[in-house]
Amino acid sequence: MNWDGDAEPGDVGRLRCLLDNVQGLVDALTSVRWKKQQDALCEISEHGMVFTVEEWSCLQARVYFRKELFRTYDYQAQVRPRFGVSLNLLVDCLNTFTSSTGSTALELRYPGFDMQLMLKLVDANNICHSAEIRTLIPDTIPRDFSADGNFDGQSPTCFAVKSSSLKEAIDDLEWPGSSIQIKMCPDPPQVVFKGEGHGDLQIVFPYSVHADLFIAFQCEREVSYRYKYKHLRATTANIPSSILKDNRGSKLTIGEGGLLKVQHLISVRQNPMDHNHNYQTQGVRVSYIEFYVMPDEDEPDSPPSS
Amino acid sequence: MKFRAVLTDYGVNLLERRFLPALEKIGKTCHILLTQHHVILLHNVLNTSGVQAIAQFTKEAIFEDYRLSSQYDDRIAFTVDLGLLSRALKSSVSMDGDLLQIKLVKKRAKITDRPTPYLTIESKGFRSAVVQDVPISQPMPRVEVEELQAALDMAQDLPRTLVQVPNLMQLHALVERLKNVGEVLEVGVTQYGDLHLQVSTTLVSIGSEFRNLRVLGVRVDGNSIDATLNSSERLRDALDKSLASVVKVDVKQFVKSLQCHHTKPDASFCGIAPNDGCLLIMLQYFIPGTRQTDNSISLHYRLPVLLDGAN
Repeated sequence: MNWDGDAEPGDVGRLRCLLDNVQGLVDALTSVRWKKQQDALCEISEHGMVFTVEEWSCLQARVYFRKELFRTYDYQAQVRPRFGVSLNLLVDCLNTFTSSTGSTALELRYPGFDMQLMLKLVDANNICHSAEIRTLIPDTIPRDFSADGNFDGQSPTCFAVKSSSLKEAIDDLEWPGSSIQIKMCPDPPQVVFKGEGHGDLQIVFPYSVHADLFIAFQCEREVSYRYKYKHLRATTANIPSSILKDNRGSKLTIGEGGLLKVQHLISVRQNPMDHNHNYQTQGVRVSYIEFYVMPDEDEPDSPPSS
Repeated sequence: MKFRAVLTDYGVNLLERRFLPALEKIGKTCHILLTQHHVILLHNVLNTSGVQAIAQFTKEAIFEDYRLSSQYDDRIAFTVDLGLLSRALKSSVSMDGDLLQIKLVKKRAKITDRPTPYLTIESKGFRSAVVQDVPISQPMPRVEVEELQAALDMAQDLPRTLVQVPNLMQLHALVERLKNVGEVLEVGVTQYGDLHLQVSTTLVSIGSEFRNLRVLGVRVDGNSIDATLNSSERLRDALDKSLASVVKVDVKQFVKSLQCHHTKPDASFCGIAPNDGCLLIMLQYFIPGTRQTDNSISLHYRLPVLLDGAN
């Protein structure tokens, strides 16, 4: 593989970064892999890398890999290049790099001589692993969803629970299938997941300051929206079990028009073989994964009461 | 045609824990060829497609009190189901029999039935004896025994250069992951002692280069290699100088073959047969507690080469 003509450190408009924990990136990207054939859009900026996966403008996932998660991150241009890449291929390629031993970091470069994404790792046994992944010219710009803004002058309606609890509830809603209603009420404070299809199933998360089910709960008025089950399932189905064990929590926000934002925090541990590497703080080792789910328009639910 | 022997504890362990599990990964059955001095397990050697494997043991490595006679130059060959043989050996171990006798018998369920051949494993303890009959094929006729012997003789041709794989389990883990990227694996071996693995598709080119490995056979000093070359350029340079061979193999077959790590080899080597005939994986075992090669045990795999355009 030809690495000639690639980025030199400091090259403007060219990315060169070193990543210690390849498994962390694999886990994060695996979480947004809900289909066999999926393309992701990667955006590079001076703040880090963002991978976006979208389906029919009603389901979108974003993986944020901030520059602090890399051992070194060298990209200084103001422009933010975007390229498409086969998500499955990227995950499978990154996975091959996780089989190597030692504390050496994976080197990522973009662009290669033919706009490829270049990966290279020389492990402790002097074995050189490298990959060139062909990138695609993106034909669409992903929608810029946001569910955090205030609407009607009120705070956004949101709650945060342990990721495993959320996944368990959504998995249980599989048998009624079809569309799932998510209802949040301030009085009594609770979140209700209700599935109606082949049968009815209702799962209630009652809020109590004394119970540890909720990490956060914020609801000033009752909101209720329906979402396609397959879209809800995509938000939790592919989270690796290692992430669920960490249980850092998942936050669900219902924004204007019923736009649901599901945010997972993922711990990106430093390479267990590399105890000497000095990270700035504990807090930087968290990656964010966000899903945006549009409400089910086929079966409109009652609008949120004011 | 007679065969009777006593299995040693070491022999049972060797077969049941190490060699049979590895062979089961590439196929359900294998031929067993018994000669006056050797016991040979041969998988798929009479076919030109698929992975071939040959495990050879001296009779002393597995048996004691070994008695064999046959009108085919004292050679007996038959086919056995590896799973059944493995289960029979496993249960004989758990019974902790004092003496584990193995013999070739013919039995018939009814007096009117044709007698069926079995490999009988008899576990004789102080108080009990347990007999397990493992069904086998009819002993092979002379012409097929000759074919097996010919395949065995042909398999003695070794590549000019074999490179030592540093860590078989790590290589298995790597190729297992490469399997998800593409179906065809390009394997290159250079006389400098480098091993190249590469999967290339229209969307990706991914590979690994193991450098400066120990070499058996023809070796060329790698100090003259231009240090500025990258891995593919190094391989191309070696090919141009006729110091390397590259073949394409089915990545799934390679993954299955690498499960030979179940046999716990002390060293493993990879090479390409003359005229790029096949990819060879050769395993070496040491005499327990030493670093001397145990010549009483050998195992090698031959992977068929894919022609250009295949897959």
